[in-house]
Amino acid sequence: MNGMTLELALKNELMTTVRLATGGVCSLAGLGLDDSEDCKVCVTESLLLLKHRGYLSAEIRYGYEDGFEISIEGKSVGGEKSSPAEDEISVALLNALAQNVTMEKRNGELCKVAFRFGTKA
Amino acid sequence: MNEDELFAKYRATGDLRIRNEIAEKYLYIAAVLAKKFVGRGVDYDDLYQVASLALLKGIDRFDETKGLQFSTFITPTITGEIKNYFRDKSRLVHLPRRVAEMRASIKRAADALVSETGRKPTAKEIAGKLGVTEEEVLRCAEAGGVVSLDNSVDGGKEGVSFHEILPAADDVFEAVETKDAVWSALKTLSEAERALVGYRFGDELSQTETAKRMGVSQMNVSRMERKILQKLRETLGKSMVE
Repeated sequence: MNGMTLELALKNELMTTVRLATGGVCSLAGLGLDDSEDCKVCVTESLLLLKHRGYLSAEIRYGYEDGFEISIEGKSVGGEKSSPAEDEISVALLNALAQNVTMEKRNGELCKVAFRFGTKA
Repeated sequence: MNEDELFAKYRATGDLRIRNEIAEKYLYIAAVLAKKFVGRGVDYDDLYQVASLALLKGIDRFDETKGLQFSTFITPTITGEIKNYFRDKSRLVHLPRRVAEMRASIKRAADALVSETGRKPTAKEIAGKLGVTEEEVLRCAEAGGVVSLDNSVDGGKEGVSFHEILPAADDVFEAVETKDAVWSALKTLSEAERALVGYRFGDELSQTETAKRMGVSQMNVSRMERKILQKLRETLGKSMVE
């Protein structure tokens, strides 16, 4: 399987590291620069959405076996919940930048975001 | 007045005050989205401006009767405009902001000097007007020219292109030959000229720093450098022909 899994605490100071790691996997997946940048935005937006739902950590799965697919799932809960107006923009932004965006819910709350990027790797 | 009523009123009247009211209400979306795209080689202020213009265009295009929230409609619109902007602007060779600003200042100063004196100003005069060094004026004025690799080396329509003469990065034999040719050409220079080449291209010192080391003026270094490069070009040209 071509891919990588990254588990991290949902802390702002880790976002740059996530962006860097995402950039690296995008490169392995053969994405162009523009798509890679868009992909980084989508990953961080997804993490922020999960953080606002009270998740303390998340697992990011990158797979580039057949196209480039990313899923981001909230893990441990217990954090503070918030619903800033910007969440709506985040969702719209994800839909504008990525393909096949899906959002899974558990007990009516968002728990997983998945999307696809670029053409076949 | 709620969102739909505001849009309906604007569409019916075209009143710019209503459009501005809507724009102010949703300007935060432009700000939020501009921030998301920072770090890709375009300043936040520029992105914010592009996003704000896209917001205004979006207000004109939005149809509240289609049942879509404006914030949902406008996000892809602004995102699309920002991405178009990246496509148009950031793919070109990107000059550092300071150099780009200096080039604009040089142009303004040169225009002002032409108006004052009725002739083209020298680099020294422009430097004096801007309060910078002559070298900085020359360096910034040189920067920014984008040259196609398909252009011919001699400037004509036909002939050898830059692309054809660019060496392969791993061409070791050519590197040895080039090094040998340069060493031979350097032997034709005087001791002072070789020292200048060492400072400028070996130690990568500026013309001003080189001038200090050699105990001459910067103008003198500039003149010597031109002469040396001309001499080297001729010598290397001859050795390539041979």
